[in-house]
Order: sequence, then structure tokens, then C-alpha cells
Amino acid sequence: MTKFLAGYHRLLTTVLTVLMGLLIIPVTLQILSRYTGLIPRYIWTEEAARFCFVWIIMIGSMIAVRDRSHFDVDLLPHPKTPRQKGLAGLVVHLTMLVLAVVFIRYGYDFAKFGAIQSSEMSGINMLSIYIAFPLAGVTWALFLGENIAADVRLLRQPATESSA
Amino acid sequence: MSPGEVSLLMFGVFAVLIVVRIPVSFALGLACLPVLLIDNRLNPVVLISEMWKSYNSFILLSVPFFVLSANLMNAARITERLVTLARASVGHLPGGLGQINVVVSMLFAGVSGSSTAEAAGIGSLMIPAMKKQGYDTSFTVAITACAATMGVIIPPSILMVVWGGLMSVSIGAMFLAGVVPGVMIGLFLMGTVYVYAKVRRYPVAQRASAKEFFSALRGAILALITPAIIVGGIVGGFFTPTEASVIAVLYAAALGGVVYRTLGRKEFGAVLHESARLSAVSLFCIGTASAFGWLLAYYRVPQAFVGALSGWATGPISAGLLIALAFLIIGCFIDAIPAIIIMGTILLPLAQNAGMHPIHFALIGVISLAFGLVTPPYGLCLLIAASIGQIKVVATLKDVGIILTAMLLVLLLVIVFPELVLFLPRLIAPQFVD
Repeated sequence: MTKFLAGYHRLLTTVLTVLMGLLIIPVTLQILSRYTGLIPRYIWTEEAARFCFVWIIMIGSMIAVRDRSHFDVDLLPHPKTPRQKGLAGLVVHLTMLVLAVVFIRYGYDFAKFGAIQSSEMSGINMLSIYIAFPLAGVTWALFLGENIAADVRLLRQPATESSA
Repeated sequence: MSPGEVSLLMFGVFAVLIVVRIPVSFALGLACLPVLLIDNRLNPVVLISEMWKSYNSFILLSVPFFVLSANLMNAARITERLVTLARASVGHLPGGLGQINVVVSMLFAGVSGSSTAEAAGIGSLMIPAMKKQGYDTSFTVAITACAATMGVIIPPSILMVVWGGLMSVSIGAMFLAGVVPGVMIGLFLMGTVYVYAKVRRYPVAQRASAKEFFSALRGAILALITPAIIVGGIVGGFFTPTEASVIAVLYAAALGGVVYRTLGRKEFGAVLHESARLSAVSLFCIGTASAFGWLLAYYRVPQAFVGALSGWATGPISAGLLIALAFLIIGCFIDAIPAIIIMGTILLPLAQNAGMHPIHFALIGVISLAFGLVTPPYGLCLLIAASIGQIKVVATLKDVGIILTAMLLVLLLVIVFPELVLFLPRLIAPQFVD
């Protein structure tokens, strides 16, 4: 399972990098077409950039759950023993799982709503963008499951080892 | 539910979640849930659709591009050229390296719109150098972090782009308005370094010759015209802020890849990935913050807030002080962009009520939030600088406090004298201001 998740994580990372590179193209085209006349004025450039952007944000949010790089605030002292660490992690990850479940449940409704819509300019089916939200929910849940398993392992560690 | 009950419930849940270290972006989304489930007219799909609406914005697209261009500047070692120029200009003043640090931050601020990229780029160059010359680590880290806040005050600025997009204020005018307070903060910081250097007897370097100065200027000149391209392009109406941010990316890539040849394909890929990740994490938070802000507005919390304060925050100065205080406090706990989305919409009626100019209101907000970048527990620039300096954040707080006091004076001046921020846009682009 860890192997699968690591592979999935790598895939998401690659897609993210490629999308970021692609994002530059439509905006550049927009400027070029306005000032040079070398290429026609595409009307889909702005929309393509925006949709690409939404995917970048959602994929970034998925990757950050596994990397634990979503920002948090340091108010309480840091847990010291493995047991405390496991417990603190469990509270965080189970709470985050609530939002993941909400995204799966209501993201499904949202995506279904998108399936009957087409975009204003290029006419593509909106499901192809709206699906990013329930997919984010599923991916968060997978990565959170991995984190929760790690927390439980910490909790199960015998207290004697914690003195180190 | 009344506006009071709703805000108590939402901010209460948010505060509890933040304390137990739920990531801010998730906490904002989760804090919306109870209200969305209780009210029959609403349901949690609203959370997702509000997030989608906030991401589906051409203006926000400039955020990853500004981050990318700043990171390209660092990777292409353009930052080093700026340091050389700063050394040739102010290296001979008391506290030489400290002065260089402040000046290079001002130069970098003009080239990039991101304070965190600035703290990382300049910090990794200046902090080791200052430590080696015998500067105290806590002072070194504190001055680096505080100087990096100029990144979002001196144009271009990511925060101003977001603010302008959200509240329909001219971004070009805000950029121009940021110049004077930004330079003032720089001068105040240089004064602070001077006093530190005198008290603690920090080393002084030899004055650079005119020849050295001009050679350093030649080395940095191509980077230094970036702000002219970006700000000039936006103010002159040649391109939108998003287009300008892409031009900044292409320009930085051309400088690094073609002119200086310091940027290979491999580095470019790594920078692309790092910038996408960093901006995605902070942009994701915009979505949940927008849903949070939308709910507050739905229950007319901003209007209730103005009503509650109508007794004593009626003049522009008292309203300005209150606005600065609110942004300074929330800036301690959350990132600047979600803070704009949540507090900006709450405070807007208050500013209008007091008859403040929208650009004056915006600059007070942006400067206060820039200070939030160094105030713990959530001060990103300070966290970055402290980790480069390998020192605990707590150990730097005394120096941060001293330096921040000098900077707060600038904020106070901006609140009391609106002309400080308004005169430059009025002079250059009056059509955006009145």
C-alpha cells in the first residue's frame, strides 16, 4: 500500500510540474496575439489558464497532505514522547479526515452538477474540472489513512523506548 | 442565527482547531461546516462551490507566476548580483553587511512580489556571511526577516494583486502607492542597523571605488529594470497584472537561461515544481477562506461589526488604527492572503463609513499584513530566516521587537498622513485614483 501511495504521490508531483509549465503558454499566447498579430486572438486562452490553475491548486493540496506541508500554527508546546506524538497526530489527521469525507460526499453532488454544464468559451464539459474536488477528497483520505496508520504505530510503541 | 452567534460559532471552531494544530486551510473549511449543516437554506456543497468560484479567477493566476519569477531570480543567481551592487553602494556604512541586507531587500522587492522568496533567497546569501563577520545571529535573522517584508510593500506585490482583484481597487495605483512607505521602511531599517552597529561595534568595510560601483551596477542593471517593465506595463495599460507576472517569469528565465547562462533545464524544472507546490498550498487556503468570508457576509457580519463600532471608530484616523490593529492581530495567526479575504471584507464597510480612500485602506491593510510575516507564532519570513540561521525563533524575538517598533512608526505615519501613499499615484496615474 505504501508503495502504491508513493507511486501515486510521484505521479501527482509530475502532473503538477507539467501543469505549471503549461500554465505559462496560454497567457503568453494572449499577449503575443494582442501585440504582434502573428497568431490569431484565441478566446480560449484565458479559460484554459484558469482551468489549469484550478487543477494545480487541488493537486498541490493533495501532495501537501502526504508531505504534511499544509501550514499550521505553533501555539501549544511540541509533543515529546512517541505516545504524545501519536496522539497529537491522530487528533489532527482524524479531524482533517472529516473535511475529506465532506469533499467526497458533497464533491460528488458538485461534480454531478458539472456533468450537465459546458464551459462558456471552449464548450468543454465542466465535469473535467469539477471532478478535481471529489478526487481531492479521495486522495486526502488515502494519504490521511497512511498518516493515521503511522500515528497508531507510534501509539503502540512501548513507553520504555520513549526515553530516547 | 444572528450575526453575533454565527461569528462566535465560526471563529470559535476555527480557534479551537488552530490550537490543536489542524492546518489553517483545513480549519477554515471545517469551521464553515456547523453553520452550513444547521441552516436549512444552505448545505456543504456551498463550501465547494465558493472555493471553485474563488479559484476560477484570472487575477489570482498571477500569484504562482510572481512566486516563480522570484524563485527563478534566486536560482539564476541574480540575487547575488543585487548583493554585489548593494555592497558597492552602502557596504562602507556602519553595520556594512546589515545595510547591504536592507538595500538588497529593497532591490529584490522591486524585482519580485513575494516576501517569502525574498527571505529564502537573501537569507541564504546574507545570513551565513553576516554570522561569519561576527554579527549576532539573532540580529542577523531578525533584520533579514524584517527587511523581507518590503517584498510585498514595494511593487510589484502579490498581496496588492489579491487585494485589487477582491475589492476592485486599481492594482497599478496600489503599486505606485507602495513605493513611498516601502522606501521609508527601508530607510528606517537602515537607521536601526546604524544604531545597532554603533552600540555593538559591528565591523565597517572599506568604501567601494566608483569603478567597482559602476561595474556592480552594470552587472545588476538588467535585473533592475524588471520593476519598470512590470509596474510601467500595468500602469501604462499595456498588460493586465497576470500578463505582467508572466512577462516577469519569461524575463527572469531569459536572463538566467540565455543572458547569464546560470539556469539549466534541470534547475528550471526544479524551480517550476517548487514554485507550483508552494503557491498551491497557499492558494488552496484562499478557497476555504473565501467560503468562510462568504458565510460571514451571508449573515451580514461585516455590517453588524460596523454597527457595534460606530460609536468610536468614525474618524479616518481612529478607523485606520483599528484596521491596522485587526490586520496585525490576524496576521499573527494566518497567512496574509486568507487574512485579506476574511478581514478585508469585514473591515471594508468600516473604512467606507469613516470616509477613507480605498487605496489608503488597502495600503494600511497590506503594510500591517506584511508585518504579520515576522510576528510569531505564524510569521513565515521569520520562520524561514531562523531556519537558515539555525536559531530558535524565540531567541530572535527581542531583536525582532526592536526592529518592528521602527517599522510600526512608518505604519503610524501612513495612517495619520494618507498623502504619503496617495500623492505618487495622484501624480503619475490620477485616472486610477479619483
